[in-house]
Amino acid sequence: MNYIKIAWRNLWRNKRRTAITTASILFAVFFALFMRSFQLGFYDHMIKNAIESFSGFLQVQHIDYQDDPSLENTFICTDSLINSIENRNGIKAVVPRIEVFTLASSGNQTKGALVMGIDPEKERKLSNPENLLVRYRMTRDVMTALGKKSKLPLEIKNKLEFIKNNSYTNLSTIAIDMDIEEEDNQEFLDIIGETAEIPGRYLKQDDDGVLLSDRLAKYLKLFIGDTLILLGQGYHGTTAAGIYPVRGIVRLPNPELDNKVIYMNISSAQVFTGLKNRVTTLGINLDDNSEKNMLAYQELLNNQITDPTVVVKNWLEFNKVLKQQIEGDNQSGQAFMALLYFVIFFGIFGTVLMMIHERKREFGVLIAVGMQKTRLAIIFVYEMFLMGMLGVLSGIVISLPFLYYYHVNPIRLRGDLAQIMENYGFDPVMPLQWIDMYVLWQGLIVAMMVVFACLYPLRKVVTLKEIDALRV
Amino acid sequence: MKVIEIKNVVKIYNDSEVQVHAVNGIDLSFEEGEFAAIVGPSGSGKTTLLNMLGGLDNPTEGDILINGFSVSEMYNGIEKHRSRISPVLKTIFRITIIPAVIRGIVKLPDIVKRMKAERKLIDFRLNNIGFVFQSYNLLPVLTARENTELVMQMQGVSKEMREKRTKELLGAVGLGDRLDSRPSRLSGGQQQRVAVARALASKPRFILADEPTANLDSKTTENLLDIMEQLNKMEKITFIFSTHDARVVRKARRVITIEDGKVISDKKTA
Ligand SMILES: Nc1ncnc2c1ncn2[C@@H]1O[C@H](COP(=O)(O)OP(=O)(O)O)[C@@H](O)[C@H]1O
Ligand SMILES: [Mg+2]
Repeated sequence: MNYIKIAWRNLWRNKRRTAITTASILFAVFFALFMRSFQLGFYDHMIKNAIESFSGFLQVQHIDYQDDPSLENTFICTDSLINSIENRNGIKAVVPRIEVFTLASSGNQTKGALVMGIDPEKERKLSNPENLLVRYRMTRDVMTALGKKSKLPLEIKNKLEFIKNNSYTNLSTIAIDMDIEEEDNQEFLDIIGETAEIPGRYLKQDDDGVLLSDRLAKYLKLFIGDTLILLGQGYHGTTAAGIYPVRGIVRLPNPELDNKVIYMNISSAQVFTGLKNRVTTLGINLDDNSEKNMLAYQELLNNQITDPTVVVKNWLEFNKVLKQQIEGDNQSGQAFMALLYFVIFFGIFGTVLMMIHERKREFGVLIAVGMQKTRLAIIFVYEMFLMGMLGVLSGIVISLPFLYYYHVNPIRLRGDLAQIMENYGFDPVMPLQWIDMYVLWQGLIVAMMVVFACLYPLRKVVTLKEIDALRV
Repeated sequence: MKVIEIKNVVKIYNDSEVQVHAVNGIDLSFEEGEFAAIVGPSGSGKTTLLNMLGGLDNPTEGDILINGFSVSEMYNGIEKHRSRISPVLKTIFRITIIPAVIRGIVKLPDIVKRMKAERKLIDFRLNNIGFVFQSYNLLPVLTARENTELVMQMQGVSKEMREKRTKELLGAVGLGDRLDSRPSRLSGGQQQRVAVARALASKPRFILADEPTANLDSKTTENLLDIMEQLNKMEKITFIFSTHDARVVRKARRVITIEDGKVISDKKTA
């Protein structure tokens, strides 16, 4: 008869209580894992949106650019500088950019806009605007035309409401927004696609045209082939002005950017601003996105660049807003988890106390007939440990399918919630992070709680007076 | 040969407002192989006396020698390492964790010594004394066989020996066919018989049974006493049991009557 077996049987003496305690641990682990997955997945999502496919993890900038992002704080970017960085191992993309605010106008409409001068080929490796090209637009005319299509069944027509006024880069997203299965409805999606399709293409390497972000294009009432007028201030206070044909419309996942971005060839932007061979930033992406690697490359590149007016910054430095947003959210999440675990701790503690109290006489008998108190304590620890592990493991096992499902099928928000997220500047998607070391952490935290919950009762066992225990 | 010597033992309880002289000057001794009953009305001090005989409690005055070992001495070995502090300090330590931890560390050598002395006493009981209590003797999660084996396992007896002796003993108390039943499936009398088998399993010098038949009807009482008497003869083991039941008294070969913590008669009947 080994002592673990005794502990196991003891555990099931009061089946209901053990089940309730185990279940409380299970739910705590389940909620904690779920919440943590959401948080980590969401941070990941934000970083992908704002950093990986927009700004880059590292940026080469003029030393004063961050404090004063004007054209005066730009630097001369030679091909040899780009090449020397590009040719290093572990570098995924190096993209030169000019970012400048100007006024964009067409007809009676005028609006502040952000001109992004890019190298169309190089940019493919970072933000790849070609992927963002809008191919379908659900304008009022399109909706009316679709409403008349006799080939579309009524249920599909009813769901058209969900996509009204939106722009899409592909049919799959239309299917998701309409809440229909893509495979089963290919035929109808094709009809929708044909009706809503718009022309438009990506910039060629020496293109003199522009790509307009979707919302900006809607505001300016501009379409492919139309002409955009830009007016602003150039390098050294000169006047910048130009007329550009619209080549395509892009939909940026970040709605704030979707309201103001204009892509043009970097050489056009240099002419527009009078910057000649200068750029505002050089965005860099790495093969390995871990913070450690990012900091290592930052140092490496800073050592390489000898010009004292030029520095390499990482995204935590040049996007403090996002960094603080993540940190703040992370802290409140952890506080919530601490609270959750605190409550569970007292659940376990209560169970342990009851167990000790109920079995006092039994402990007295065992010690009287010759069982050492330390052995009794060990059996008791086994019991608590088994219960804790049962809760933790079943919590993890139950969580896994959910976590996996929502990891593969991120929740797409609709309605008000989606609006809130868009207002914060994010695509309204809630992806879950797949399991990671943090699962282990949850197990460890619960194991530690069990240990703490045992301390006081163990002291009770060790200081138990058998003569008093027998009198119960 | 004397197994137990009780020398002018007094036990006073102080924990209520009035002092209770539960045992009030008892001198007795027990020889090997005795089958003795301690008789007296409720509250006369039987349990108090038996607990001290079993090394479960410390006499206030006088001493008890078990196999020549002094119970008082063993308790003093524990008590002398117990640090005495004022109740006020004690409360402070209880509610403030850090000083309590520091104190715990400072007192660690004493705590270790005390625990060692306590371990010695528990091991002494394991190897020398068998206990049968009035009720709830057995671990409810263990079968009759496992309950009996447990003490031998704690003594470090080999598996084969344990199994052999368990079968023998449970056979002797008439439970050869209930080896794998848990206590909840056994009657009160059967449970007490398992308790007797367990008390014998460790091969103790004597067995103390505090009102072992108090919860049993007369037929099962008779049966349990017959078994105890048989084992007393077979295993040559000393049995000392307390009772206030006249039918039980008849079976005993020595009857010690106590009242108000004093021996008023001590008769050998056979
Ligand atoms: N822990 C205790 N504290 C105070 N008084 C006690 C305690 N244990 C027993 N007594 C008292 O000691 C006396 C003897 O009790 P006990 O030995 O249990 O008698 P018996 O077993 O013969 O019924 C009784 O008056 C009882 O109330
Ligand atoms: Mg009593």
